[in-house]
Amino acid sequence: MLVLEDVCVVRGTTTVLSDVSAVLATGRCTAIAGPSGAGKSTLLRLLDRLLEPTSGRVTFHGAPLPSYDVLELRRRVGLVQQAPVLLAEDVLADLRVGRPGLTPDEAAALLARAGLEGLPMDRETSSLSGGEAQRLCLARALAVGPEVLLLDEPTSALDAVAAQSVERVVRSLVADGLTAVLVSHDLRQARRLADDVVVLRGGRVVESGPASTSQYLAGAS
Amino acid sequence: MTLLASGTHPSVPSWWGVAASVLLVVVTVAVVVREQLGLGREVLVACVRAIVQLVAVGALLGVLFTRAGLPGSLLWVAGMVAVGARVAGGRGRGVPRSTWVAAIAITAGVVATLGLLVVAQVIDAQPRVVVPVGGMVVSAATRGTSVVLLRIAEQSVTARRQIEARLALGLPAALAFAPHRRTALRTALVTDIDQVKTVGLISLPGAMTGLLLAGVDPLTAIRYQVVVMYMLLSAVAVAGVVASRLASSRLFDDAQRLLETVA
Repeated sequence: MLVLEDVCVVRGTTTVLSDVSAVLATGRCTAIAGPSGAGKSTLLRLLDRLLEPTSGRVTFHGAPLPSYDVLELRRRVGLVQQAPVLLAEDVLADLRVGRPGLTPDEAAALLARAGLEGLPMDRETSSLSGGEAQRLCLARALAVGPEVLLLDEPTSALDAVAAQSVERVVRSLVADGLTAVLVSHDLRQARRLADDVVVLRGGRVVESGPASTSQYLAGAS
Repeated sequence: MTLLASGTHPSVPSWWGVAASVLLVVVTVAVVVREQLGLGREVLVACVRAIVQLVAVGALLGVLFTRAGLPGSLLWVAGMVAVGARVAGGRGRGVPRSTWVAAIAITAGVVATLGLLVVAQVIDAQPRVVVPVGGMVVSAATRGTSVVLLRIAEQSVTARRQIEARLALGLPAALAFAPHRRTALRTALVTDIDQVKTVGLISLPGAMTGLLLAGVDPLTAIRYQVVVMYMLLSAVAVAGVVASRLASSRLFDDAQRLLETVA
């Protein structure tokens, strides 16, 4: 379980997050929703310590994040960025960035889990479509065995068909017990994928609870 | 009146010869004036500056060679390192304390390269040798460090998403930045490797030209040039690798986070 307690983030003279408290439950998909500039991506970056809160704290299974070895923490709390970021020339090499000893069989299983069954291991990553590239990023994040997956607008750079393929993968991962934290400004997507929702506006939490009863997400229908 | 100096150096112009070369400045000024380039004044200022600077340096070196001895020469080299560090450090804006990084890197390149040549007795440890050879080494180390710092500062901004993607996979900062560090180092080395490849084919290099002008036999002159080429390559390699490692470690904090650098 990831818990934010009275978290503030101030950058220069701008308060990006103000007294944010939220519980991101284990085994569920929590959407961080809200308009652009609400502080959603900032909140996500706090969870794997790519950013430090100015005040307040974040705990993981009851212990403050700084009490974990940061490299181990990032292996347990994976991140998939907004637009696909490929890190190697071919598929297998890309999957091995975080886990160099990955065997081709393990790589094939990861690709299948990310909905990329049969993708050749020697396929050049530059030739992948947007949807394939984002699912490869998902598979690469899964390769290091995370308990939590942070998804920062994972479909915003994709067309509708590619976005659906990524959504299917996220849904199946959560069904398998993975904890997901999804940043999305797409309310319909948040409703489709999330069990819980935390709504931010102007850096403050204005609503949190089950997605099914969310007034904010209800505006999507 | 002769335009060539009499004595041991057959091709060195006399001061009358230097005065005659002012005709070449007249030619240059004539070209820029005739072509209306608006550079006439700049050419004159540059040429006057060059002669003032060179006379001053020549006089200073004269004193250095005759009176300051080896310690004075090393101090001179240290002064060149300080100037080089300021220049190269300025290229690394965005890398915290880039001038110190540059100073350490250039010093490492100079100590390793010049030290090896002196210890192996390839060159004499006397001011007349240490100062000019040291100058060449500092210049090469500065060039390499500048390129490395410039590229590393650029990459820390342009490749931020890739770097953070690697960090998010649990890679330590050094590994997350390694591909970008290597790119910077490769860029710094490529120019000098190309120079070594084409030496003598495209142009006659400086040290060899100087020796030829001083009347040294060509096959003797190339011995010096070979040493100089390898020396410059090693200065760039050592300074570059030290600069790249120090600079990349300064881009991250204790929690393996890429700092918000000022581009």
